[in-house]
Amino acid sequence: MHLTDEEQGILDGAFGEPQRIALNVLVKLGQAYGADRLVEIASAHVVGSSYQIAGEAGIAIYTQLVEEGARVKVRTTSDPGSIDFARWRQFKTPGEYAERQIKIAELLDRMGVIPTWTCTPYTTFNVPRFGEDLGWSESSAVVFANSVIGARTNRLAAYVDLCAALVGRVPRFGLHVPECRRGEVAFELTPDLSANFEDHYFPALGYLVGQVTGDRISVILGVRRATFDQLKAFGAAAAASGSVALYHMVGITPEARTVDEALGGRQPSERHVVGTREVRETMAQMSTGQDGPVDVVGVGCPHASIDQIRRYAMLLQGKRVHTGVELWICANTVVEEMSRKMGYLETIEQAGAKLMVGTCHNDCPLGPWGFRRLVTDSGKFAYYTPTTVGTECIFASTEACFEAAITGRVDRR
Amino acid sequence: MSPSQIIRGRGCSPGEFEGEVVVSLQPFGFWQGIDPRTGIVIDRRHDLCGTSLCNKAFVFPYGRGSTGTPGIFLEAVKNGCAPAAIVNVKSEPMIVACALLAEAFFKVSIPIVDGLAADYRDLLRTGDRVRISGASGIIEVVSGG
Repeated sequence: MHLTDEEQGILDGAFGEPQRIALNVLVKLGQAYGADRLVEIASAHVVGSSYQIAGEAGIAIYTQLVEEGARVKVRTTSDPGSIDFARWRQFKTPGEYAERQIKIAELLDRMGVIPTWTCTPYTTFNVPRFGEDLGWSESSAVVFANSVIGARTNRLAAYVDLCAALVGRVPRFGLHVPECRRGEVAFELTPDLSANFEDHYFPALGYLVGQVTGDRISVILGVRRATFDQLKAFGAAAAASGSVALYHMVGITPEARTVDEALGGRQPSERHVVGTREVRETMAQMSTGQDGPVDVVGVGCPHASIDQIRRYAMLLQGKRVHTGVELWICANTVVEEMSRKMGYLETIEQAGAKLMVGTCHNDCPLGPWGFRRLVTDSGKFAYYTPTTVGTECIFASTEACFEAAITGRVDRR
Repeated sequence: MSPSQIIRGRGCSPGEFEGEVVVSLQPFGFWQGIDPRTGIVIDRRHDLCGTSLCNKAFVFPYGRGSTGTPGIFLEAVKNGCAPAAIVNVKSEPMIVACALLAEAFFKVSIPIVDGLAADYRDLLRTGDRVRISGASGIIEVVSGG
C-alpha cells in the first residue's frame, strides 16, 4: 500500500499519538482489503456518539484521545445520542444513564465534532457533493450519501469513522473505486406496481431489496418518481434488512441515468420481478405483532425533515392522541427550531404528541415505559425495535400510524 | 477426526490463540447479538443464544449488521469477555475493524482468519481445541471435541 511522505510521518508519530493510532488502524484495514493507497475525505460522520453504542469502552477511548490532544481534521458530525438532551427526564431516561451520554458529548466536543446528533447530517451541516470521498458511518446516511448524492463512502465501523476524521483519510477500496459501484442485482417492478406505487411502498421495497441482496449493489427499475424523503426511507430500510451501502434507481439516482450506466454496461448477475403481491408480503414480514391496542407510535426514522413535520402537523390538526398512547416524532434540533417557528410544533404538542430530538426510539433506553406494541412507518424501526425496544412492531403507512395514535388501535384491514 | 488437522485460510488480523472453538453455521451480528458484560449470545433468533463466546474462538460464516458493531465488541473486550479469535468464511471490514481497534485501544490481539470452506461443519465442531495464527492464517485442530 502506497503512503505519501506525510502519511508515513503520521505513522512515525510526527503528528502526535491520536493521528498515529488512527492512521495505523486505517492502513491495516486497507491492507486487509487490498487498498492501493489512502484517499483524502471531505467529511466524516461518527456513530459512536451514542452511549448505547459506545458504552464505557467508548468513553475510555475518547478520554484517551482527548488527553492526547486529538482534534478532527475534517468536518465531522455526530449521529444521534442516547438521550434527548433537553427532555431526557420527560422520556424517563435514568439520570446516571443521561450523565454518561453527556460525558460523551463533552469528549466529542473537545475533539471538534459538530454536535448535530442526527442520522440525517446530509440535510444540514454535512452536505456531500457528487463524487466526493467521505468517511461515514450510520448505515442510513451512508446509503443516502452513496446512492442519492453519488458521494463515495464505505460503511465505516464505529471508531474507524473517528480514525478517519482524525487524519482526514480512508483506505481506498470498495465504494471509493468507481468499478466497484456497478449494480449487480436487478429488481424490475411490474407495470401495475410501477403505476400504483404508494408512499409506504418505499420502505417496504427497500426492506425487500436488502433481504435479497445483502451487501450487493441493486438496480431498481420502474420507480417513476421519488421525493428526497421517500429515498431516505427506502435506503434506511435496505441498509437495515441487508447491509446495503449503495443502490441505483434508474432515472432517479445520479449514477443511474440509464440502466446501462447503473449496470456499468454489464448484465446483472440476478434478475427479480417485483409486483404488488411481493411488496405486500414483505410488509407482512415487517410486522412482528397482531392488530389491536397500541401504546407507542414512532415516526421520524431516519430523522424527520421539515416537509414531513408539516405533513404530521396536518394529520394532527384538531385531533387528540388517544389516552395511554405515546406518539413520538424523531428529528434533529434544526428541524425542531424550524417547526417551532412555523407553528407546527404547537400543533403537534396540542394534539398530545411529542418531538423527540437528537435521538430516537432505537437509541434511547425505553425500559421504564413498559411498551408492548409499537407502530411505525419506518423499515429501519421495523427491523430493530423488536430487539432494541423489546416490543411487538407493526409496520404501516404514515397515515395509518397517525390513525393508530388517535384511535389507540391498529387495524390494517 | 484425526488429530492435528491443518486448515489454511487468509490471515486478516494477527495474534495467536489456543483454546476451544464455538461453531455456528448462521451469520452473526454483535450489535444486539451479545451481552457485553458476559459474552453470552442474547439474539433470540440465533442458534447460539445462551452460549458464551468469552475467550473462545468463534467460528461463523460472516458478520451481519450495524456500523455500531465495534461499540458492543470493544465493550466486551474491555470487560474481558469477548471472543479471543474469529474464523469466518468471509470477514467483512466491520469484523476486522473490531480486532484492529481492540489492538489499538486495549492492547488485546484477536486473531482473525477467513477463507474457511463454505461448508465447514465437518472441519470444525464446537468443543474442538485449536491453535490459530492470525498472521499466517493457519488453524491447527489439536483435538476433536
